[in-house]
Amino acid sequence: MRIAALLLAVLAWPAQAGWEWSEPLTVNSVQGAAIFPHLESANRRGVAVSGDTVGVVWEDNRDGSPQCYLALKPADEGFQPEIRLSQADCYEPVVVGLGAGRFVAAWEEAGKVHAQLLPDGSALKLSDAEAAQVTLAVGSNTIYAAWAEQAGRFRRIVVAQLAVKADALSMETAQPVEAGLPIDEQGWPALAVAGDGSVTVAWEDRRARHTVPMVSHSRDGRSFAPPARLADQRSGSVDGLGAGIGSMRPTLAAWGERGVVAVWLDKRDFLSGYDVYAAFDTGTRRFGKNVRVQDNFGDNMAQWHALVVGDAGGRLVALWDDARDGTPDVWLSEWDDEAFGDDVAVPGAAGPGAQSDPVATLDVAGALHVVWLDRDEAAGTRVRYARAVRR
Amino acid sequence: MKLITMLLAASSMWATTVLADPPPGYPFVDFDAGLKAARADGKPIFLYFGRYGCAWCDHTNKKTFSDAGLKKLYSENYALVYVDAESGKRLTLPSGERITEAELGARLQAFATPLFVYMTPQGDKIMQIPGFKTVQDFRDYDRYVRGGHYKQKTLLEFLGGKS
Repeated sequence: MRIAALLLAVLAWPAQAGWEWSEPLTVNSVQGAAIFPHLESANRRGVAVSGDTVGVVWEDNRDGSPQCYLALKPADEGFQPEIRLSQADCYEPVVVGLGAGRFVAAWEEAGKVHAQLLPDGSALKLSDAEAAQVTLAVGSNTIYAAWAEQAGRFRRIVVAQLAVKADALSMETAQPVEAGLPIDEQGWPALAVAGDGSVTVAWEDRRARHTVPMVSHSRDGRSFAPPARLADQRSGSVDGLGAGIGSMRPTLAAWGERGVVAVWLDKRDFLSGYDVYAAFDTGTRRFGKNVRVQDNFGDNMAQWHALVVGDAGGRLVALWDDARDGTPDVWLSEWDDEAFGDDVAVPGAAGPGAQSDPVATLDVAGALHVVWLDRDEAAGTRVRYARAVRR
Repeated sequence: MKLITMLLAASSMWATTVLADPPPGYPFVDFDAGLKAARADGKPIFLYFGRYGCAWCDHTNKKTFSDAGLKKLYSENYALVYVDAESGKRLTLPSGERITEAELGARLQAFATPLFVYMTPQGDKIMQIPGFKTVQDFRDYDRYVRGGHYKQKTLLEFLGGKS
């Protein structure tokens, strides 16, 4: 028995050796069987670090309608009671850190997208037209926002530059990635600002009559290159049926000195649900061959809620949830400069019950901050947080 | 110029003809409307979880749902709901939780499209069936659901006992 336990410990060692995790904390102060928190957002940017402060945003219905909330965690403390960001129906909030404890959050409210400098500042409406699925990115001292905005019959992707002047947030420019009206739906934009200051935007695009992750680059954040496909497997109708494979929810992260990495859900293996795929732009502003992220143990299982986080030091981590062990757990895989490593369950976000919907960020010291949903139908869903440092 | 405008308009209309939408002629509605109608009429829900551009959805539409008798059977006896597997459109579950259509796939652990979900008029799941199915399959599922056999037998037990 002891030998078996020892063997199991040895086998588990490589998977657990990478990160040392803190005890999970609960972020949301109000829970209940009929309260449903959500961490869904464009580019899954629901947690950010600014100075020593962690900021987490989510949406829940505790007040009788969907509203967006922000909770802050100063260093060496628990999460403070959350503050409500919205007044009307609110969805899919995101947050980025500006340093020195300041954040910018953005969200959809009453069919428009808004942003706000926090902890002090007032909300700024970013769109006049109907818009949703806003995301944010910061780099080279510039704040960028992207969202899906109604233009004719469909939504298209708009990118804006935001600025902080005299403790107020303002919008400097906003323009669509493509000038023409969209011929089918576009949505779920992701943004990354590379080390050289160039901006990459990726999004879901249905112009090919199936959902394809598309990407475009800009040197100045104003003028964008013609879109290209992220998925390297071209597909079309089969014997005159359908239009092509499915894929959804692209996410982006700046990585290394000039690189950008994309991770998305891809259904090229259409019998095993969505898999997590990645593509790398090493600084050429072209994404290369697609790489499958999850290992073989996750192969016959649908993956959900995938995202990627990276940093200038070259760290790169993909996260998602899947139910390979019977119930949804949060998994991560780290890039080792050649391939994604073995999948590792996030301690505290794995085991009995449903743990899902990860959002994450890497701070300037390389620590990984992960937030997820811990669903309990009777007691209510908790928004949970843990921090990990390299061993 | 007029011709170009007409061509653009035509191509725009063609582009919005969703290949994997519900089959033509069936009264499919979105999740919230379907749940409301099912509760009002006391009809079970037949939920078609399809994906934009999905070849097997297209195949099922053309090969199976083109059957006039099946169209009549399902149109008259079910609240027909269509959900787009990759859409960010929102729906409200019977629990009151608001999620996106794509998130419904995660909750159902959907691994392939089309996926067909039968539900009670109150929105409780009876069973989910993935992949291409024939007219006879859907007739069998209808007998299983509307006959109330799901309360006593698994689908396999029911199908094993059919004449």
